[in-house]
Amino acid sequence: MIWLTWRQHRKQALWTAAALLALAAVLVPTGLAMRSTFQDSGLGACLRALGHAELVDNGGCEALSQRFGNKYDSTAFLAVLLVLLPVLAGVFLGAPLVAREVENGTHRLVWTQGISRRRWILTKFGLVGAVTLVLSVGYALGAAWWLEPLADNGLGRLRYLVFDVQGIAPIGYTLFAVALGILAGTVARRVLPAMGISLTAFIAVRALVELFARPYFLPAKTLTYAIDSPLMANRFAGSWIYQEGVRNGTGALVLPDGRIGCGPEGGDSAGCLARIAQDYGPAPLTNWQEYQPADRFWTFQAIETGIFLALTVLLVTVAVRRVRRIS
Amino acid sequence: MTESALNTEALGKRYGQTWALRDCSLELPAGRIAALVGPNGAGKSTLLHLAVGLLRPDTGQVRVFGRDPREDPDARADLGFVAQDTPLYPDFTAAELITMGRRLNPRGWDDSIARDRLARLGLPLDKRVGRLSGGQRAQVALALALAKRPRLLLLDEPVAALDPLARHEFMQALMGAVGEYGTTVLLSSHLLNDLERVCDHLVLLHTSQVRLSAPVDDLLASHCRLVGPRTPDGAAVPGVAEVVRASHTERQSTLLVRTDGPVDENRWTVHQVTLEDLVLAHLGTSARPTASEVAA
Amino acid sequence: MIEFVLDGRSRVATYMQLVLQVKQALRVGLAQPGDRLPKVRDVAQALAINPNTVLKAYRELELEGLAEGRPGVGTFLVRTLAGPALAHQAELRAELTAWLHRAQAAGLTREDITALVDTTLRATPERPPTDGAAPA
Repeated sequence: MIWLTWRQHRKQALWTAAALLALAAVLVPTGLAMRSTFQDSGLGACLRALGHAELVDNGGCEALSQRFGNKYDSTAFLAVLLVLLPVLAGVFLGAPLVAREVENGTHRLVWTQGISRRRWILTKFGLVGAVTLVLSVGYALGAAWWLEPLADNGLGRLRYLVFDVQGIAPIGYTLFAVALGILAGTVARRVLPAMGISLTAFIAVRALVELFARPYFLPAKTLTYAIDSPLMANRFAGSWIYQEGVRNGTGALVLPDGRIGCGPEGGDSAGCLARIAQDYGPAPLTNWQEYQPADRFWTFQAIETGIFLALTVLLVTVAVRRVRRIS
Repeated sequence: MTESALNTEALGKRYGQTWALRDCSLELPAGRIAALVGPNGAGKSTLLHLAVGLLRPDTGQVRVFGRDPREDPDARADLGFVAQDTPLYPDFTAAELITMGRRLNPRGWDDSIARDRLARLGLPLDKRVGRLSGGQRAQVALALALAKRPRLLLLDEPVAALDPLARHEFMQALMGAVGEYGTTVLLSSHLLNDLERVCDHLVLLHTSQVRLSAPVDDLLASHCRLVGPRTPDGAAVPGVAEVVRASHTERQSTLLVRTDGPVDENRWTVHQVTLEDLVLAHLGTSARPTASEVAA
Repeated sequence: MIEFVLDGRSRVATYMQLVLQVKQALRVGLAQPGDRLPKVRDVAQALAINPNTVLKAYRELELEGLAEGRPGVGTFLVRTLAGPALAHQAELRAELTAWLHRAQAAGLTREDITALVDTTLRATPERPPTDGAAPA
């Protein structure tokens, strides 16, 4: 049975390997270049010195960060590609697994041999699941390595897209995508429709969780500090900022998506404050942000992965029941 | 009493509200070559799929040499199945399919049976089966089923898609194998012509139910066509157990009947029937227009 | 060894066609006692017919005392139908040919001749006569 599974899927395995190698051929050189620029420019050392406190004495790293960002922020679009990998596994590994057999009628050949259908299911799903697991672990580690400089340079690991391709969540997504593909195959019983269903359903479920569940995994924290505070919010802390702005004395949000620094290094702190008060109303004016702090990364990862693993178990169970009824 | 190769009791399978097979009770003694005949959609595939354990029955039970094909691994080892359109993995070579068979059948498998058969037919073992002709693929499928050394071989419309030559060659190979191993066979077809020379047992399905299940010799002996004076439908005829089909002209009646005793030969002219006459009669008037319909 | 053929249009049962072919071969001397009949499997395969049909034909021949099954070896012919009659066949055939020529000269067609032979055969009892079997 293991021999059969390998013989049937070796072409897919080779294609997968080739695709991953091609991807690595792009990511490894750019990753290495990014990392060396990050260190050689002194940005790495600067950010290390700055630390990860939420409020810091802002300063020296901005210029370096800007320069690094100008050079490499555009490569972040590759992260979009990385986000697509799990659904590709679902479409090309999961969907054909049962659908191709039923479409060609070969399920009637293989299920009438000496081994039981239960064993066929266990071996097939087990092997494909194991391969998927290994691939997704490698994928998550590789993506995390590649994105590290960009994340450190202010992107943060909790952000959309960045969060989605590292840690353990990609493992959950990939297993879920493959399970979804298999189930779609047992429903559609033909390869192309199964691929279409699994693609659509995967995007729908991912979007739902990402937009309507993930922001509420834990209650958001708020950070406020006076606009003349010598310390400012650390742009490199890696927080996931939902909303920020400046509130005046009545509590109204008078400057959305902005922050004001009338700190001592500006010189005329009092004059600055007076001018601001003229524009934005009564003192005291405070900078305000609603956010998830960076240290919740692994909690969020665990919850997200848990959701998708639970869905995977559910889908596999349904798929097994359906396979046992196909004739 | 010979052993029963296939036995079903009140077997039924339903898809939603529709019964694909209903109340099917039949027995196939070992050593027979049985034809499973019926129009398309009569439930032939459903019955075969139930017999090989691909389907779980909704009612009743099915036994292969006394064992449940869905639960008992011994029953699976006893069964060979050639599915409709003889599906094979198109990118496998015949040699790889034989390897597959060996690995999927821990008991009973014999490589040499498949290899010898294909060698005798001059079939290349190292060519992808997707590139073989339909007839050759059917031969590969048959060789794989035989290498399992089954005691009961089930074939679902194995020759329906083949040209007449390939059809003949397939039946030659099948009959040679039966002669060699004494396998019990149940093969389905919507055409009787393919099977008339071959089968010694007939199972006739119509509208999801079993119409006939008996040895061919018994069927031929018990059925005949009577031609005599006009007799109203429903009138009792001595010696006749069942009027299968009747057609009438103004003064004459032609009845295809199942007898259970001597028929009055002064009143009736008795003609023997062929298996095909008998099957068509049992499939009902829709199979062939009556004389009056032709006249109109 | 005998090679069987089947007449697809014949209404004669398949096994009986095989029996008749063996008898015919014995009659004309193409098969002789001691000859082995082809293996059941080979006949079934060559003609694509049920092996049980071949077995039935061989059993029929055994019942008639023409053949004998030897377990593990095969079925052998043990008796001939040609007998002393075979010796007379050439002579009878010559006479028949001469008669046929006369019949043709008398204007009889092939069908006329066949009909004449048939009715005469039926009207000439082999054993004690039964009721007149000549067709009306």
